Amino acid sequence: MNVRTVSELDALMARLAEGDRVAFTRVFELLWGPIQKLCLSLLRNEADAADAGQEAMHKILERASDFDKTRPAMPWALAIAGWECRTLARRRERRRESHTDAIPSCAGPHAEEEFLQRDLTTAAMAALGELSELDREVLIATFWDEAASVSGATLRKRRERALDRLRKTFRRLYGLD
Amino acid sequence: MGSTDIQLLQRRVRRTYELARLRRALVGVLPIVVVTAIATLLASRPAPPLTFGLATALMGAMMLWHGRDPQKAFLPGVIAGLVPLALALGTGALHTCGTANCSSLCLPACVLGGVIAGMAVSGVSFQRRAGPWFWVSASGLALLTGAMGCACMGTSGVVGLGMGFGAGIVPGLLRRVFGQKAS
Repeated sequence: MNVRTVSELDALMARLAEGDRVAFTRVFELLWGPIQKLCLSLLRNEADAADAGQEAMHKILERASDFDKTRPAMPWALAIAGWECRTLARRRERRRESHTDAIPSCAGPHAEEEFLQRDLTTAAMAALGELSELDREVLIATFWDEAASVSGATLRKRRERALDRLRKTFRRLYGLD
Repeated sequence: MGSTDIQLLQRRVRRTYELARLRRALVGVLPIVVVTAIATLLASRPAPPLTFGLATALMGAMMLWHGRDPQKAFLPGVIAGLVPLALALGTGALHTCGTANCSSLCLPACVLGGVIAGMAVSGVSFQRRAGPWFWVSASGLALLTGAMGCACMGTSGVVGLGMGFGAGIVPGLLRRVFGQKAS
């Protein structure tokens, strides 16, 4: 990030703090890249970095009205993002620890069922990974009940085709439907 | 992350920004709520101060949420409006009696308070070289705050406040107009 961009961000952030909504999109664009980079370097995992980056953007823009105009905007934003990454890393670590602790208690009548379910989910995720970006988007949007980029008959057709491809990939990888 | 996802994230973040501003605005108008409660308790008829108080709080919240000039006009507007409000509430119980009848001092207090508030708003606007939105916002908020007390005389009190306020801002407006022409 060069000097001109840094001073542009400072000026835009000051305007946004005063309530000038015109500055919003540019502030978002200027912050998103460096925050993603920071999160990726701290967490070393793309999915976690994306989660932390999104959360950080929410926190930064939530506090935008409190931004101190006398301070540089980028270090302030990166400090919030860094904190968010650390919080997420700690949370994941804690979850992993509790998961490891919980394994012995799973050894009951449902343990085998649970392991099978987990294996199936992993297999489905692997098959999903073999599909194109478009197919993935359609299937994920269907699963999470989210709005896809298209709707109506086009979406139905795409979904049908994506499911067919997923079925074929699954059969090719694991020999079953 | 695809461009659709980024747009979605941007929309969500924008919503967060607006909600945070709204929260701040609602906290910012709490002093107006307190002033409204005091005015309602002191007034002989509680309905008018309550109505004007709610309108003031609503307008104040909108100004703080919007930001820029209206946000900067919030404090000067409220402080200027407190003058006619205090004068009206202070003189609410007083009245002068002549040989034929008694008259309340509320109306003169409102006119005088309006003049002072108008002068204060125009003085601050001139000092800050503020734009028209600052004038409009500060004046609106000052009038609504003052009207909480001036409603003691019904419509005539509020009209008196408005006339006094109008008279108060005239010198400032003239100074601004002629000052701009001279420069």
